[in-house]
Amino acid sequence: MNAWQAGIGTVLLLFGTANAHAKEPKPTGSPSAAGYAPIGRDEKGLWAEAEEEERELKTSKLVVRDAGANAYVRHVLCRITGEEACAKVRIYIVRAPIFNAGMFPNGMMRVYTGLLLRVRDEAELAAVLGHEFTHFERRHALSALKKERNARSWAAWLTVASGLTNRPHNYLPEFLAAFYSYSRDQEREADLGGLKLLHDAGYQTMAASSVWLRQRDEKDAQAAALGVKSLKDSDYGPFESHPMNVERMTYLAREAQAMGTDKSFDGLTDFRQAMAPIWPMLIEDQIRLNDFGASEYLLANLARGDWTGSLLYARAELYRARAKGGDLLTAETLYRQAIARGDAPAGAWRGLGLTLTRTGNQTEARSTLTEYLKRNPDAPDRAMLSAIAEGN
Amino acid sequence: MARALAMACALAAAPSLAQEKAAVKPGFSMPVDKPVRILVFRPSVKVGSQSAGGLVTPNADWTSNARKLLSEAVVAARPGGTSDVVFMPELEGDDALLLADYQALFGAVADTVLQHRLFKGDRLPTKKTGFEYTLGPGVSRLADKVGGDYGLFIVTNDAFGSTGRKLLQIFAAGAVGVGVSSGQHIGYAGLVDLKTGDLVWINADYQMGGDVREADGAAKRAKQLLEDFPAPAGGVAGAAR
Repeated sequence: MNAWQAGIGTVLLLFGTANAHAKEPKPTGSPSAAGYAPIGRDEKGLWAEAEEEERELKTSKLVVRDAGANAYVRHVLCRITGEEACAKVRIYIVRAPIFNAGMFPNGMMRVYTGLLLRVRDEAELAAVLGHEFTHFERRHALSALKKERNARSWAAWLTVASGLTNRPHNYLPEFLAAFYSYSRDQEREADLGGLKLLHDAGYQTMAASSVWLRQRDEKDAQAAALGVKSLKDSDYGPFESHPMNVERMTYLAREAQAMGTDKSFDGLTDFRQAMAPIWPMLIEDQIRLNDFGASEYLLANLARGDWTGSLLYARAELYRARAKGGDLLTAETLYRQAIARGDAPAGAWRGLGLTLTRTGNQTEARSTLTEYLKRNPDAPDRAMLSAIAEGN
Repeated sequence: MARALAMACALAAAPSLAQEKAAVKPGFSMPVDKPVRILVFRPSVKVGSQSAGGLVTPNADWTSNARKLLSEAVVAARPGGTSDVVFMPELEGDDALLLADYQALFGAVADTVLQHRLFKGDRLPTKKTGFEYTLGPGVSRLADKVGGDYGLFIVTNDAFGSTGRKLLQIFAAGAVGVGVSSGQHIGYAGLVDLKTGDLVWINADYQMGGDVREADGAAKRAKQLLEDFPAPAGGVAGAAR
């Protein structure tokens, strides 16, 4: 038997193995139907793995426990999926200042706080939740697993077989590129599936596209503040799991218009109300990223021209943290504007007091910090602040 | 050269880490002057199947069996010669968060030990000798709730080579003369003093034996995980050997 015969023989054996796997029952029916349990070895394996992760996540300190915010996000999901389907999904709000959400094959959904900071209203939130739910409903994790497994196996066999020739070649990049192309198709499917849910639930459909439009603007603002070139239009390359933002923005707007833009519900008031209790934490985490351009862009977008006390306070914090050139005086001014509005968080007095210790008036700095401690007696940095306030 | 490189890239053929190592905090031995209770934290167990191309598919039945069998085997192995080995109970509310915190902290500390202390290659110059790792005395809050002197952590990660992987291995070795590994069996165990939080012992092996899917194999694995377990003070080596 020469080497080629050996190769062909092995490839035939490979198919034999693939056929042995075909005996596994094929998952059918909707995973979001009541009483659904995973079917077949692959789906059971994926669910079990996700359950183990969920077990850890449940007791993680990173999970935001605010009852109102959690109930609200769930309410939005149920509004687009219907009660039966959303009962199969567990949502975890995870404290991480990144623009992302994630769906696991067993119905665990993670929504990161950086996403809640970036979506401007309920319709935009619903667009993202709909996208994630579509991944679950269509078993994207399972088909991606199979696709990647096949891709890697073909690459391994062909690469090894190429060792018999005088031109050995690593086939993995080609096959992985094909897998990632498939992954991007799944994302497009989830985008459009989510858009359909958004539309059917009566939300304004342009919301799905807006998220990506602003994500691109945020990248510009980030790059501008850093004095570097924005990469928002640079090709992501073949090994990227998601389509480019520019593409998503465009097809979502096109499809939204095709579906109809007669519905106008955006749920802005409900969204702001539900997020208010956790909002200070969201913005604080964002400011700590030391990403001045993106943070300032986000704040301006949230304000939409109406700078509330909270937003002014957040912007002041941003300037105080950077503290370059006229930043401290800008911060001082913004804190004063926040306080003048009457709806400023207690932190505005803390920020103003600390800024004043550096910009000049020590007497006012002390009295402002005293005022802060009166407004927030349980401040975790009370000992330090009262030392400053008492002039020690 | 090009051939070997192409193969290595495509097959994610891990460099052979035929390494097994243990470390004990200097001067530590299991106390003999008082009864010792060891709390076993829920073992982190992953068992899956490795495809021809090396991708691991998790297997639900294998994983849950292995977790159960390994847990039983660790208790039966009487680490350190103590018979008082109990499982960390499930906790509720804030206690559950505390437990999760320390479970995660142990994972982070253990990763550091494995990467920068135990194995050659990426050792930190200041960590080549000595063994100064701790989860901090706060861990005693857990011990206070449940009662226990030492916490035993077990982590295993197994991927059994599928038929396709084994065929590829045979073909690669026979026809092409290239080595392809089949299966991966990684595990480590660590012991924490629940009063001080100090990590007193760790044992890791990147090529473990024992098929964790079966009772006999799990017993063998438990034995390997508990190899070099700290001996009782002034006594002979621990009963686990």
